[in-house]
Amino acid sequence: MKDSANYKDYALLSYHHIPGVHNLDVFERAGGYETMKACLEKDPEAIKEEVKLSGLRGRGGAGFATGVKWGFFTKDRNAKKYLLCNADESEPGTFKDRYLVEKNPHILIEGMIISAWALATQKGYIYIRGEFQQQAVILERAIKEAYAKGYLGKNILGKGFDFDLYVHRGAGAYICGEETGMISSLEGKKGQPKLKPPFPAIKGYRGLPTMVNNVESLAAIPWIMRFGALAYKQWGTDKSPGTKLFSISGDVNRPGVIEVPLSTSLKEIIEVHCGGMRDGNNLKAVIPGGSSAPVLNAEDSYNVRMDYEDVAAKGSMLGSGAIIVIDDTRNMGDILKWTLEFYHHESCGQCTPCREGTGWLESVFKRRESGKAHKSDIDLLDKTAASMRGQTICALADAAAMPTQGMIKVFREELEAYVSLSGKK
Amino acid sequence: MTENVKLTWNGKEIEAPKGSNLLQAALDNGIEVAHYCYHAGLSVAGVCRMCMVEQDGNPRAFPSCNATCGEGMVVHSDTPKIKAAVEATLQFHLVNHPLDCPVCDQAGECGLQDYYMKHGQYDSQMIDKKVHKEKVQDIGKNVMLDAERCILCSRCTRFTSEVTGTNELGILNRGDHAEITVNENLKNDYAQNLVDICPVGALTSKDFRFKQRVWFLEDVLTTCIGCETGCSVKVSQNKNGSYRVKPVYDHGVNGHWMCDDGRKIYKHVSSPTRLSAASENINGLFIPVDEAGILNSLSDKKLKFILSTGLTNGEYQNFFAKIKGSNAEVALYSLPHEGPEFDGILKRGDKNANLRGAVKAFDQAGFDHSQAALDKVLNSLTKSDALFVVVPEIIYNEDHFNTLIKKVEKAAVALALTPGESLASMRSFKYLLPVPSFLEKDGEITNFQGAGRELRKGLSYGETSKDVSYYAGWVNV
Repeated sequence: MKDSANYKDYALLSYHHIPGVHNLDVFERAGGYETMKACLEKDPEAIKEEVKLSGLRGRGGAGFATGVKWGFFTKDRNAKKYLLCNADESEPGTFKDRYLVEKNPHILIEGMIISAWALATQKGYIYIRGEFQQQAVILERAIKEAYAKGYLGKNILGKGFDFDLYVHRGAGAYICGEETGMISSLEGKKGQPKLKPPFPAIKGYRGLPTMVNNVESLAAIPWIMRFGALAYKQWGTDKSPGTKLFSISGDVNRPGVIEVPLSTSLKEIIEVHCGGMRDGNNLKAVIPGGSSAPVLNAEDSYNVRMDYEDVAAKGSMLGSGAIIVIDDTRNMGDILKWTLEFYHHESCGQCTPCREGTGWLESVFKRRESGKAHKSDIDLLDKTAASMRGQTICALADAAAMPTQGMIKVFREELEAYVSLSGKK
Repeated sequence: MTENVKLTWNGKEIEAPKGSNLLQAALDNGIEVAHYCYHAGLSVAGVCRMCMVEQDGNPRAFPSCNATCGEGMVVHSDTPKIKAAVEATLQFHLVNHPLDCPVCDQAGECGLQDYYMKHGQYDSQMIDKKVHKEKVQDIGKNVMLDAERCILCSRCTRFTSEVTGTNELGILNRGDHAEITVNENLKNDYAQNLVDICPVGALTSKDFRFKQRVWFLEDVLTTCIGCETGCSVKVSQNKNGSYRVKPVYDHGVNGHWMCDDGRKIYKHVSSPTRLSAASENINGLFIPVDEAGILNSLSDKKLKFILSTGLTNGEYQNFFAKIKGSNAEVALYSLPHEGPEFDGILKRGDKNANLRGAVKAFDQAGFDHSQAALDKVLNSLTKSDALFVVVPEIIYNEDHFNTLIKKVEKAAVALALTPGESLASMRSFKYLLPVPSFLEKDGEITNFQGAGRELRKGLSYGETSKDVSYYAGWVNV
């Protein structure tokens, strides 16, 4: 039996306990698509206003307010434009979107129809991570059901509103989770981020206005529209309202995906929702927002509240809500090594500081393997990582540099000892 | 006309058209800004990250190549923050770059070398294994690729996709393993431009490489005589010879580029087999001869001239001034068209560099420049005629020219005035006389637009003073 905390009636996972809810008829019996039908009666501007009022922040990692982002979008309802759902969940440690859509694909589709109505987009794409084959099949089946019901396609519910939705599978590149990289990939080009400005809301897929939102953001829309922005704001803080999915992995007894209000303490998440530390080991550190977030030490981890402001105040970031819990049996050197290997592998190779920097960080940190390592390498690593930040088109260079610098800040001695273990491995 | 805006760059007030490229505005105003991927003739990639700037009121540094000029902007590229960023980015560029400079053709005009001297951290911190890629790759059209030297600025891939539309090049793989891939060997007629736009030694010219160090060369700015377009070019030369032709930016004519045919126009100028002195054909061997002997053989002959379309406007004028009042006949040999009338980029089918100038000069002097007039001169040759043929400087279709040459034998004396090498077919001539090549004279030619294009004198490798009008003077001897 799972902890009942998982099944609190929050916004995103409120249908997840219903067996077979991935089927449209089950979803509808539980109240699904009602909000969508009600929304199509509403003024699109009122929907945008409600979303803005809810303070929903983009759940992909950057935490930019969804309503504000929608405000940048063209208001010309007849102009050709796209709604793009970012389901390329690739940040190591993150698996919330996958959990959301494999159990309940219709909540995303419902959210997308409402958003498409509000934004007047005629076509939508769900760009899903290449490795999520099963989830893509589930989504495609659900979309087919929605078409059969007349919720997608031409003249939806007789409103004279057309919305076609497609699933597009990526080929397994972290960088395609960056919105302009995703657009390049969708256009059939190499998955490389594009220069900004122009931003996708102005000039995106095929040079037309494109709104890119994360799965979790779009899936939260039906709840917000059903119960209202004020109800959504009962959770969380002023700046981080609502609930959030957290993917918890690492050394806890029950890893998995949970939905809790923002600003829940990390201690509660570990102790209550995840059943405490694995084998009763001591907590050593937590990476609170996916592999690109700087690490928190044990003390900060037990004090931090999981909202955008407090995690930032502790020197890290909430990111996509991927909590990686590390106990004292782990060597931080190994963790940094794997992190650096990952970013080296995933750099798209476009901007010089990232292309060369990610590879070099890895080489410097792995000098111990060729017996060339020295304690001062850690300083070089810190300096090199610092000079990669803020220098590139997208945030991948920062995503590699931040955990490196964060790890050095908190665990310098351990890393120095790690690299000093000379001799070939 | 777009209005100009005033902005400040490193404290210097500059003016630029509103909305134009910010980096270009700096470059146009003589401000040096390091950059590799930006090229005014291509789209903006923004990947080398060298041209970062800070703007007052903007918390984030950004690449100036992806920004536009606005009124009152205050931009800095010399703050400590930017200097440190450029230094670090340069270091990243060099992490996997081979230390090839001593054997690299780009040395001396290499973006990496130049900025390393200026911004470099001289002591290497790189003791790790470099990423290795394939070095000597012949990718066609006289272009060599060294993938290891490449800094992935993507200028070449943008060129093949945007300028020629042939897409032979692409970038494969990710991260520091990314490299230029050749989808198919180069097939466009502008491939040598890739060598020019490559900021490092990744793309080098098979024709030029290993022949000279660039610091031993001087450039002479002149005009290409390969076709009627008349692109602005520079020819690199030194006392040992001419080595290469590169395009010079010319807004009205060729923009940034030139075609591959134009790259070969210098070849005859310093060729070891170029005719250096007046020579007589003795049983197929050309032996230097005294001018007096030639003049002797011309006495009591009627002089006829066939001019080429590659002379300067001044040369035509002087020529007609010299023969004025004589009974000399003059005709014009124009080169046959090659390929399509216009290839959509620069190359034109009409290979006559100065047909317009020639026609004008003929008309003014009252001579007929038509093909019919040429045929008439050739068909009416008798043993009382001496025929001077000015050999075109660039000949694409030798067979076409040879059909003309075959007919000259009917003249009592046939003389070729040649600025270049002797063709095998020139044995039909009794005498060969050298004239200056296009690189050894100042003058003007008129291109297809009717615009005057300047030829300028560089170093000399052959006859430089006795041009066509000198020999025209023989009508009165």
